[in-house]
Amino acid sequence: MADPRRLSDRELERALTLVGPQYPYPPTPNLAGLVRTRILARPLPSRPWRSSWTDPRRLALAAVLLLVLIGAAGLAIPGTRDAIAHFFRVQGVIVNRVPSQPSVTPATSIDLGRPTTLAEAQSSVKFTIAVPSRLGSPDAVYLTSGIPGGEVALVYKARPGIPLVGQTGIGVLITEFRGDLIPEFITKEVGPGTTLTETRVNGDAGWWIAGEPHLIIVRIAGSDQPETLRLAANTLVWEHQGVTYRIESALSQAEAIRIASSLP
Amino acid sequence: MEGRPLDDTALVERARNGDVNAYEALVQQYQELAFRVAYQVTGDAADAEDAAQEAFVNAYYALGRFRVGSPFRPWLLRIVANEARNRRASAHRRIALAERALAAQSSGEAAPSPERAAEADEFRTTLITTLRGLRVDDRLVLAYRLFFDLSEAEMAVALNCPRGTVKSRLSRALARLRVALPDDIRLPSSAGNVDG
Repeated sequence: MADPRRLSDRELERALTLVGPQYPYPPTPNLAGLVRTRILARPLPSRPWRSSWTDPRRLALAAVLLLVLIGAAGLAIPGTRDAIAHFFRVQGVIVNRVPSQPSVTPATSIDLGRPTTLAEAQSSVKFTIAVPSRLGSPDAVYLTSGIPGGEVALVYKARPGIPLVGQTGIGVLITEFRGDLIPEFITKEVGPGTTLTETRVNGDAGWWIAGEPHLIIVRIAGSDQPETLRLAANTLVWEHQGVTYRIESALSQAEAIRIASSLP
Repeated sequence: MEGRPLDDTALVERARNGDVNAYEALVQQYQELAFRVAYQVTGDAADAEDAAQEAFVNAYYALGRFRVGSPFRPWLLRIVANEARNRRASAHRRIALAERALAAQSSGEAAPSPERAAEADEFRTTLITTLRGLRVDDRLVLAYRLFFDLSEAEMAVALNCPRGTVKSRLSRALARLRVALPDDIRLPSSAGNVDG
């Protein structure tokens, strides 16, 4: 070694390779039996897309969607959805391109879950809640605990620089949930007046959905709760390390990304 | 090794069709690796066990979106690492305790032995302790490559990053490890032979 005080990459790699087998791991527990018991207690759900039309919940969802489509201001909508599935690289979100944007009665209030505090929400969800430093502490926090991993909603009221969003009645809505645990949690129906743009958020793949409001359906698999349907405003959606984030606002893509980038 | 992808593919396909025995075989095959990866993240045995168990259960219910024919191992590890990260906050306070236990264990293992063995033992302890002080991303990338021998393609899946960035991540992790090591650390006298 030229300099005994500095280890080269190769030396470090060699050292780690040799240390690896001696790493002091605790004994490996036997997980197979426990896992078997747990998965036997809950049958495997039907496969997404491939067998989806045999799933009664999905059929019910389709029926609801069809009603919405038929009621869409007398527009001639085909009996079958001319939908193109856009498989996002964002877990927990499915986007369908639909031939025309359905209209739904604007919700007078949106169900974001149970009002709570950040601390209480943090103790209930299985991920670290991220608050954007650009916006500061949220004006309200809501928790949905009945889904795998939980979901938190951070609400910011409209204020100078943050316009009011007609669809939500607030300024900025940020939702966070474990997309890796609930891959079909949110379905978005996107009409021709809505643009889908692939983007990057802190190096992670994301999507910017903008233009005409799009239909958003929140579905809790295996739950008796009905799906929630409402129209959503401009939305930035991305996933980081299993957690899926949505920022919904009337802000520009650049500003939404600035907010996203200020998440810890 | 050669038979693994085929075996995994067949087991995964059966498990996707509801064959619990096939999935149990996958759990048995990967439980040690999953537990150790989780332990690399949490530094706590109980949290690592919870994370690995939860990951296997969640992976089972996510099999429907697993791409048939792609390697199961890195896909599973990605879920394991995510689960482990989500437990890490609670485990954080216990890491110091684990490190102290590690130091005690290492010194206890040090045989009253020639100088070279003691030197190797000290080097190993320093290296492992320093590794545990690195950020999780760095620890994982080093462990995947150098402890668990994942290929670059597998690492890209396990780390959920583009394949082209794996090498640079590894390089940056090594650089940060080097900076974190004590200035006066030396390889044991037999260069590269760190196990005495």
